[in-house]
Amino acid sequence: MTDSSLFPAPQGGRPAPSFVPASPRLESLKFSYVKRSGLLKITLINFVFNILTLSLYRFWGKTNVRKHIWSSIHVNGEPLEYTGTGMELFKGFIFVFGLIILPFVVLSAVLRAVYGDNSPAAAAVSSLFGLFVYVMLGYAIYKARKYQLTRTFWRGIRGNLAGSAMTYSLTYFGSMLAKGFSLGWATPVMNTVLHEHITNDMRFGDAAFKFKGRAGPLYGTFALCWIMTGVLIVAGIFLIVFAGTVVEKIWPGLDKSKDTSLIAWLVFWGVLAFISYMLFIPALWSLYSAKQMRKFADYTRFDGAQFKLEATAGSIIWLSVANLLIFIFTLGFGWPFVQQRTFRYMIDRLKLEGAIDLERIRQSSLAIPTRGEGLADAFDVGAW
Amino acid sequence: MAVSATYYDGQSAKTREVTVSADGTSVNFSGSETLPTRWSIAGLHAIDPPAPDQPYRLTHDETPGARLVLRDAAFIAALLARNPQLKGGYTKRDISHLLGWTIGGLAVFAALGYLAIYVIPGPIAAMLPQSWRDRTGTEMEHAMSMGITRCSTTDGDRAIGRLLANLAEGTPDMPPVSVHVYEIPIINAFALNGGHIIVTRKLLETADKPEELAGVLAHEIGHVAHKHPETQMVRLAGMQVLTSLFSGTNGGNMSSNMVFMAALLQQTRSTEAEADAYARDMIEKAQIDPEGMKSFFEKLLKIEKEHASDSKSLHVLGDLLSTHPGTEDRIKEIEPLPAGVTPKPALSDEDWKALKKICG
Repeated sequence: MTDSSLFPAPQGGRPAPSFVPASPRLESLKFSYVKRSGLLKITLINFVFNILTLSLYRFWGKTNVRKHIWSSIHVNGEPLEYTGTGMELFKGFIFVFGLIILPFVVLSAVLRAVYGDNSPAAAAVSSLFGLFVYVMLGYAIYKARKYQLTRTFWRGIRGNLAGSAMTYSLTYFGSMLAKGFSLGWATPVMNTVLHEHITNDMRFGDAAFKFKGRAGPLYGTFALCWIMTGVLIVAGIFLIVFAGTVVEKIWPGLDKSKDTSLIAWLVFWGVLAFISYMLFIPALWSLYSAKQMRKFADYTRFDGAQFKLEATAGSIIWLSVANLLIFIFTLGFGWPFVQQRTFRYMIDRLKLEGAIDLERIRQSSLAIPTRGEGLADAFDVGAW
Repeated sequence: MAVSATYYDGQSAKTREVTVSADGTSVNFSGSETLPTRWSIAGLHAIDPPAPDQPYRLTHDETPGARLVLRDAAFIAALLARNPQLKGGYTKRDISHLLGWTIGGLAVFAALGYLAIYVIPGPIAAMLPQSWRDRTGTEMEHAMSMGITRCSTTDGDRAIGRLLANLAEGTPDMPPVSVHVYEIPIINAFALNGGHIIVTRKLLETADKPEELAGVLAHEIGHVAHKHPETQMVRLAGMQVLTSLFSGTNGGNMSSNMVFMAALLQQTRSTEAEADAYARDMIEKAQIDPEGMKSFFEKLLKIEKEHASDSKSLHVLGDLLSTHPGTEDRIKEIEPLPAGVTPKPALSDEDWKALKKICG
């Protein structure tokens, strides 16, 4: 390694020989997010062209944002690379739009026009389409992930998903039903099953990721969040009723029999309840999210090395609040910065413990999709 | 100048140290595990724009999976100085291509939009069968009047019938219509598909003479005769398909909807003018005093002014965006009956009183 003196590698560069355990071929991996300039320019160009093109530019804009963020993620000083193109996303969109969305829209419009708004035929088509969307949600997520992984390169090697999207989709559909019927209590089990499925399908070149672990350890935190949510809702209702009666006493002009003050009264408490609901409940659940993220990382191995993710509820809340504020105050056009922050959050906290024989990893011969994310874009899942 | 660099062959994740040099036509490299390789400058592509303290990555058309990673700042600077096209990122050419596509796309969109708004809806609406117009009209009236009481008395309904008959006097090809009065506290009248006309209670209260109501009804019958409601329905459906086609969302996004709203309002103004023209013609042929139509518009104008903001600019804006032609302009268009023609009453006093009491 004579070059190490010639090239003072940036942070997280190739490890010095003393770092390498036992076999000299083994390397340990270090992740870092190295900010590069240019995201603001991309954001502004996206803003202008999304308006000019009635949002059709989004496929190209999205691609440029991904290229930027991928290039900022360094593994041992070597950045990732995103090789997807706007045209691939556009083709995916045209494919799904022309083959699924448009025929449905036209069919239901024709049925409505011919048989009237309340026709059973139009209702049947609508509910069939609704069912189709639910059954295909998982498919869309899996395919989008597969597209993104096959466009992600590191050291010239691409990622992939090696399994069947349809199997995943059915599991996903089943998990939605199970979560609903169990009032949420199936969530830890179902999330573990889904995450296990997709992680075990994940490849980097010909090397596989492995996920092994139980949902059991998630249940303590889940139960806490679930019960506290109930307590919060009951307490909220109680507080509203109680505060309402107090306000009635101290607000002299309040006459609930008059329409305007009744509406003002209801709106006031409604808004207050909604805001607390929007703030407290997600904040509470970030306890569970953090726990799940940590556990899922613990359960994941790559070629004998073990992932660690130092996620905490507090940092997730801060991340989400700041992202929300950026999103609101830029009217949504600051989305690339929200994404950058989210990726950065993960990368800064992600570790891989143990060493890997990287030189053994070869490019895989798995098939690569030629179009991207049409369904996920249409369903608005995972194709950010 | 020869410097060290890293090479990935695209087949394995193995890091290969190489020595790189560049001349005017190619980048050449070789190493202990890498055969001497020539990458022509013409086939080179930068993975990212160069950034300080970041590795600069190159690939080549002939070996799309392979990556050459340069870290020597002086070498990178020299290479870029000779070959500015390797700077990656947005170039002026990219932006002008993008602008070209955008302008072309907008032109196609505008052309399709023009067809969907101005050209296609009329003929399609004209082709729709009467049964469809009747059914959708009934449905629309049902949907609009959900939870609202319909005013109806035997004498009142008879009076409406007579008023319509008097209006039809000089217009034998008047389309069949049904006029219903509803308990709605705003001044308005609507024409729906298939000749369904809705008049609000407030409008009926505002009319002091049968000739005033006759003017309003003639205007709505004008909409029916021109099949405006049906045309509007086809137009909206077409625009929805077009916006979702172009934006890939269900019903368009903000910017495309704004474009369409503006076009739609403009279009509505021209349909209002058409209905006014029909109404003036009908009133004259029926020998009803156009003064009624005029005085009703003047009342509307007075109400408008009471509600209007003092700001002149707001008024102009309101005029631009309003769906009806400026009321003042509409009043100007109304001319008295030709000399020597004696106006006939639109309705007898008795019928008018019965009609005014239709909502109790």
